[in-house]
Amino acid sequence: MVRKKVPDWLNSSLWSSSQSSPPSSAMANPFEPPPRAPSPAVVSPSEPSPPSVQDPPPTQRIEAPPSKDHANAFPSAHDVSRQAQLLAELSRKVVDMSELRSLACQGIPDAAGIRATVWKLLLGYLPPDRGLWSSELAKKRSQYKQFKEDILMNPSEITRKMYNSTNCDTDDANCERALLSRSEITQGEHPLSLGKTSVWNQFFQDTEIIDQIDRDVKRTHPDMHFFSGDSQFAKSNQDALKNVLIIFAKLNPGVRYVQGMNEILAPLFYVLKNDPDEENAAFAEADAFFCFVELLSGFRDNFVQQLDNSVVGIRATITRLSQLLREHDEELWRHLEVTSKVNPQFYAFRWITLLLTQEFNFADSLHIWDTLLSDPDGPQETLLRVCCAMLVLVRKRLLAGDFTSNLKLLQNYPTTNISHLLYVANKFRVQSV
Amino acid sequence: MAVADAFDEQCDYLFKAVLIGDSGVGKSNLISRFAIDEFRFDSKPTIGVEFAYRNIKVRDKLIKAQIWDTAGQERFRAITSSYYRGALGAMLVYDITKRATFVNVSKWLHELREFGGEDMVVVLVGNKSDLGPSREVETEEGKGFAETEGLCFMETSALQNMNVDEAFLEMITKIHDIISQKSLETKMNGTALSVPGGKEIHIADEVTATKQVNCCS
Repeated sequence: MVRKKVPDWLNSSLWSSSQSSPPSSAMANPFEPPPRAPSPAVVSPSEPSPPSVQDPPPTQRIEAPPSKDHANAFPSAHDVSRQAQLLAELSRKVVDMSELRSLACQGIPDAAGIRATVWKLLLGYLPPDRGLWSSELAKKRSQYKQFKEDILMNPSEITRKMYNSTNCDTDDANCERALLSRSEITQGEHPLSLGKTSVWNQFFQDTEIIDQIDRDVKRTHPDMHFFSGDSQFAKSNQDALKNVLIIFAKLNPGVRYVQGMNEILAPLFYVLKNDPDEENAAFAEADAFFCFVELLSGFRDNFVQQLDNSVVGIRATITRLSQLLREHDEELWRHLEVTSKVNPQFYAFRWITLLLTQEFNFADSLHIWDTLLSDPDGPQETLLRVCCAMLVLVRKRLLAGDFTSNLKLLQNYPTTNISHLLYVANKFRVQSV
Repeated sequence: MAVADAFDEQCDYLFKAVLIGDSGVGKSNLISRFAIDEFRFDSKPTIGVEFAYRNIKVRDKLIKAQIWDTAGQERFRAITSSYYRGALGAMLVYDITKRATFVNVSKWLHELREFGGEDMVVVLVGNKSDLGPSREVETEEGKGFAETEGLCFMETSALQNMNVDEAFLEMITKIHDIISQKSLETKMNGTALSVPGGKEIHIADEVTATKQVNCCS
């Protein structure tokens, strides 16, 4: 399957990485090959507590490292060997992407920040050539810094800048004070100006979207200390999410901010922020921004209202899920959509737009994302197969159910064995001849 | 008064109703207060649509109220328009501490009238009445608007469980009365709506098929 074409507005030269910097593989690379990583110093920040404790506060339960199977807190031999294989792959001079994909597809171990690096590679944020990593990261991070300065500045700062540049050539020292007493802002840039081009007019329009982002960021994973609560840590993480979403909305006037984007950004930021490499963790906001852009390039159309009725919009995507189900389980499809009249929009809209982040617990979502990001068919194709597998896994209950019970089941999907779910989904792959 | 989990066929009526209004006005909490008597300070934004139901006795009839909760952001309206199909009632919610959400009520009403059925019972609800000190919309304003537009009106607090059941009950009772009236008229015209067992079923079209399978096969 061919990856969907990236739309024009995401192709803005602002962030397309021109592979200009010459490969300097001889240079010392600040990103040490991960084989060093599994030293005691690099246990992931949330100290792996035995998840067997029965009654932890909800936050801890979720933030504890995901255990593959309910009973065992320790990684299985299989996990250990996959971790070793992944680390070996990441330490190559040029990462073999197809090899990496096939390893990551089975789930990425949580230790040693592997997931952070692998996701960056899978999303195309890091190039396969390790020699390019440091220059690429430096470039992107400074670009993001510039976005922040240009976009997050509030109008009084912009007008002050204008004022400074026009009036303060000679008298720098008095600028600030002059502004405090009575600043001579040009008529067009007065807050009460009605001019359409006024920075303030733009500001007031933006306020609505910023309020919405603010409301939603505050409601992101309310059960996790990382995202929620009064701690300084949670607050700074919320600020990071907010910045990324505002900058994205401003740079993409065709998409702006749509409710639910916070849910897609959250896992990215969480994974990057928990990278044991301190420098990477410190730049998690910038890196998450670009990863978010890369990820959305495959899903963006689902968020655009103008495309709802087009062949690439959310309705068409949901129809493809319905067709996939019909292809693989006609009986279930018939019962669900014809007999019990459950319009797939009623459950699949959220499944698809949020990439399943609200259907499973956080750890399970990460596991699903490992597969979504690494499957060579691309995230959306893979997502549709996983959604189809979710339906098939509860087929008995669905076949016995009516409209009410089926919708209830699909809007509150039961806890399930994710490895099995992904295994079933994989069987729906279009058999290539 | 709620019967925990009656089967569809044990109910006399199945009513579909929708909740609409701006993002963050408390729609999801109103619904969860009504359906399962729960309030969450940390509820997540609703994406797409969710639904809940509760069985209620109104004038000796057991009614299953199926309440649909929709996302507040404008982007979702194109998608949610299909959710109005078959809805007999709507609760249009604003936040009494945010004037903008009250200003937008007319937009929502416009949409309701475009997509909803003619006889739809609409209740205008000013939520968060527990936050009196931050009030930006006076009760009289809400009431006045509702009167002009021919809507029912109530101020509620999902947090303090004030008027929540009352608002839903008013809507459901009104729906019931309209349906009974219609049913009576139909009978007088000679075409009975009754199904086997003497029950009269009025439902959203999504559910009609299910009911027919349950009741008529």
